[in-house]
Amino acid sequence: MLNPKVIRCTNLGEYVECILEGDWVLSVDSSEALSQWHEFCQVEQTLPKLVVLKMNPESKWDSSLLIFIFSLEDQFKTQGVRIDLSNLPQKVLNLLEFAERRKAKSGDDLNLGQTDLPSWWDGSVQWINRVSTFWGKWLVALYQFLTGRSFMRLRDFMVACKSCGASALPIITLIAFLTGLTLAFVGSVQLEKFNATIYVADLVSLAMVREMGPLMVAIVMAGRTGASFAAELGSMKLREEVDSLRTFGIPAIDFLVLPRTLALFLMTPLLTMYADLVGILGGLTVGTQVMDFSSLHYYEQTETALTHMWEIYSGLIKSLAFGLIIGLVGCYKGLHTGNDSAALGRSVTSSVVVSITFIVVCDALFEIAFSFLGYR
Amino acid sequence: MDSEERKISLEAKDLHLCYGKKTILTDLSFELFEESCLVIMGSSGCGKSTLLKALTGLLKPASGMVRFENGDLWGRGALPNELVLSNFGVLFQAGALWSSMNLLENVSLPLEVFSELNKKEIEAMASYKLGLVGLSGCEYLYPSELSGGMQKRAGLARALSMDPSILFLDEPSAGLDPINSRQLDELILELKHSLGITFVVVTHELDSIFTIADDALFLSGVEKKLLERGNPNELKVSSAFQEVKNFLNRK
Repeated sequence: MLNPKVIRCTNLGEYVECILEGDWVLSVDSSEALSQWHEFCQVEQTLPKLVVLKMNPESKWDSSLLIFIFSLEDQFKTQGVRIDLSNLPQKVLNLLEFAERRKAKSGDDLNLGQTDLPSWWDGSVQWINRVSTFWGKWLVALYQFLTGRSFMRLRDFMVACKSCGASALPIITLIAFLTGLTLAFVGSVQLEKFNATIYVADLVSLAMVREMGPLMVAIVMAGRTGASFAAELGSMKLREEVDSLRTFGIPAIDFLVLPRTLALFLMTPLLTMYADLVGILGGLTVGTQVMDFSSLHYYEQTETALTHMWEIYSGLIKSLAFGLIIGLVGCYKGLHTGNDSAALGRSVTSSVVVSITFIVVCDALFEIAFSFLGYR
Repeated sequence: MDSEERKISLEAKDLHLCYGKKTILTDLSFELFEESCLVIMGSSGCGKSTLLKALTGLLKPASGMVRFENGDLWGRGALPNELVLSNFGVLFQAGALWSSMNLLENVSLPLEVFSELNKKEIEAMASYKLGLVGLSGCEYLYPSELSGGMQKRAGLARALSMDPSILFLDEPSAGLDPINSRQLDELILELKHSLGITFVVVTHELDSIFTIADDALFLSGVEKKLLERGNPNELKVSSAFQEVKNFLNRK
């Protein structure tokens, strides 16, 4: 059982005697003792120039006693009051002397210098430099791949294809089906007012192939695959695995980035096609089960809506771009992560945020371009 | 040796350590004297780190017990006894500092959680501990800004934060240059004498072993048991086992 910390102070004219009682250990609150001390200092307006610290020999103590002594020393330094510690246990004195000695040694091997914080201008220039270097290296690696001189291993590419293609099917199925279903429900409420409910089939199919298919797939892939690329490459960088590749003369871009980005570039349109189909099936489910159309009727209506294959192609073109964005952003964020685990977390977060931002902006640009060029 | 008069701080009895069905060490019994430095040595893969894990509450032994003065570490089922753990400090091989916090926060965190000190006292305590390992003035640096040796010392300051009675060090001099490694050994000796801390050190750096150890355990990976125990300087010349002699004489 521990006793509370107590300070008994008496002004003996020539000096102040402070007797420390109770247990001066970490697990005992010291606010009571400190307020006793401050009270004493306030009552005694003029303190003698000497304070003698004593300690009850039965009290337990640990580093928290030393902290109290340091705080007293701090307080008295400006007032020119001397503290006599010689009555404290020998072990405390040894420790104080040890702390003093170590403190004097501190920093003798520090070589911190003046670290200049980069100005926003330097920072931006460096950032532009990093991004364009990454882009450039990637394009070179792609060229080398196309001319058959790349370090990329087919096995890595296949593994990446599997992880961002086939493995994503379950989640894509769920999201696309529910998107199609929701579109049908939302559309039917409006179309009912015009007695044109069969146009739900047009609405669902056009919305899925033009917009929702590519966009939903891209968002899921950014959260799923882009983040995993950033985390994987980031932890490889932290553990110096990327550096070890470089020392063998194998460029990280060829070996790590190219298989992943190419896999995403090729898999995203495939997943989009699949999502378009599943989304339309979602609409069909509502059409047949809730709105009582026959499957054939719904199918024929969908077929007329998608007479021009361009509708589907335009979505696939977009998804090619989205796949590239996700792959490049994820790998860039991973390879340029900082030196600690907190930085890795930030890289993964920002890979998702940046990917999704770029995807939405890119989608808008595509739509604007298509309508100006008369393709809508 | 005056071991009869010295107080026993930690006692391990009939420890049997394994990972799943793979046995690492069997029938391990030894005691640790207060204010001494025990070195656990042996060739790579002999179970040094596994033993350290069992002693620091990270791996439950299949059987046997680890007794400290206020209880049995593994006496309460699957989880280690926290009351016993509160007397321990551990320095991991690479420091294992929390990278999202600066040094002051790293050392303060255990104090904030477990002590009754106020914010100002905790800060003072953390700077004092950093001062003990020679890192005054580095309070606001982040682990990634430090050299390997400084990270180790900061890890040591964090291990010291709660005034432990036993400090476990896992390969403290691994990855350090000879000068840094010697300075760390000196620091360990100084801490042992000034703070009265008991040390358990896993290492295979011979220089360190001869400098800091009062006592040593030699584990054998082949026989999966404690091969020999004694002062390394004595074992070096008079060990009954050729393996121990070879190890200590670098043969």
